[in-house]
Amino acid sequence: MFKKLIEESTGRSPWLFHINAGSCNGCDIELVSVLTPRYDAERLGFKLAGSPRHADIVVVTGPVTKQSLPRVLRTISQVPEPRCIVTMGSCPQSGNVFRGSYSVAGPLSKYVPVDVDVAGCAPKPEAVIDGLALAAKILKEKRGRMK
Amino acid sequence: MTVILEALRYLGYVLVFPGFLFCFLAGMLLCGIDRKLVAKMQKRVGPPILQPFYDFFKLCGKETIVPAAAERISFMLAPLLGLAALVVIQLFIPVFSFTAFYGMADIIVILYLLLIPAISIIMGGAASGSPYAGVGLSREMVTIISCELPLVLVLLAVAKTVGSAMGTGLCFSLSDIAEYQEINGSLITRISMLPAAAAMLLVIPGETGSHPFDTAEAETEICEGLLAEYSGAALGVFKLSHAVKMLTLSSLFAALFLGGLGTGILVLDALLLFLLCAGITAVSISLVHAVTARLKIEQIFKFYWTVVSLPALLSLVLAWYGL
Repeated sequence: MFKKLIEESTGRSPWLFHINAGSCNGCDIELVSVLTPRYDAERLGFKLAGSPRHADIVVVTGPVTKQSLPRVLRTISQVPEPRCIVTMGSCPQSGNVFRGSYSVAGPLSKYVPVDVDVAGCAPKPEAVIDGLALAAKILKEKRGRMK
Repeated sequence: MTVILEALRYLGYVLVFPGFLFCFLAGMLLCGIDRKLVAKMQKRVGPPILQPFYDFFKLCGKETIVPAAAERISFMLAPLLGLAALVVIQLFIPVFSFTAFYGMADIIVILYLLLIPAISIIMGGAASGSPYAGVGLSREMVTIISCELPLVLVLLAVAKTVGSAMGTGLCFSLSDIAEYQEINGSLITRISMLPAAAAMLLVIPGETGSHPFDTAEAETEICEGLLAEYSGAALGVFKLSHAVKMLTLSSLFAALFLGGLGTGILVLDALLLFLLCAGITAVSISLVHAVTARLKIEQIFKFYWTVVSLPALLSLVLAWYGL
């Protein structure tokens, strides 16, 4: 019963950690707008955590530049299991307009398993909430598979 | 036989009613109400009232990472120490006419016990070996020092008012304060106590480290400071401590200023205490949270030693002259 309780709670309380991997700041602003009174992602339990140790979902924005890649991987490895990785915007998914640049190491899925991609430049807040809700569901399934 | 029954009764006190179970349920519920109210004040829908329970159980199911640089034993022991101290305080605070451990502790013990959660979080932060925790640690210490002076002044003012009425000079016993209020009505109805009550309402957010005074755990600035390296169940216990601290301080306020409202039936009294705590939290934590932005650490210090201490001092002086 206790396991069931934990599993149910995991899906209802996903805390976000946001990594900027060389983003143009467009997606970062859209992510913040998701938490504003108009969209209010907190009603689904989402909360922006200050430290990767507290997070459940890692949101990566930006095309993953060569400079940021080691830091992104190190930050992701600091997030305790179960965790979900969500890419936000087209950049970490495909490279977007920065594809082929000498300084871009992306896409992110070359280095870590990505759970949800939210495409768009920048994606609409509704799309972001949809993606995060999907990530929360995946998180719950991952917790169910643990132990 | 009676010894065993007595022991069982005290065990019940520690584990169920003013102890662990009550603290867990009431504290978490209070925290949920606070989050919902803040959301409503900001015109948001807000999280469900049960959100703190979800957060806690989720954290129980997460991996707990102990950093390589951390001092393992104190890192893992710190959260439990803080929570235990808070539950002990709750055992000593009277629920109107009922006190779980009668005549064993007074205000001064509570003052010392209130320091332990802050010290435990400092201990845990220092043991984690994170530089962010180092910054948070120094800020937490300054916050404690800032809150201590007005809190002591408020307690002295109450002690003097009750003490001079009883002819004992200063009365530090919480059960006596509760008894005095049973007979003479709540202390908040006395004009001389109003400034002290206002000061106490401003001490509560500082002591719990909630919004304008949360420099020690500034999440956008120093990665949650002292809690930066905590994860999983240990973090969950810290979050629980935070919730229980809200309950402890608001029920201390209720015991000091709103006594004498009890009905004499324990279940109703507990319910009434919880409702009063919710009201106190709404005014002193949620409202202050919703309308202010985070202060800098030196502003907190200045604020507590002037704006909050002065009314508390005024109350003390008025109480000294028997008003």
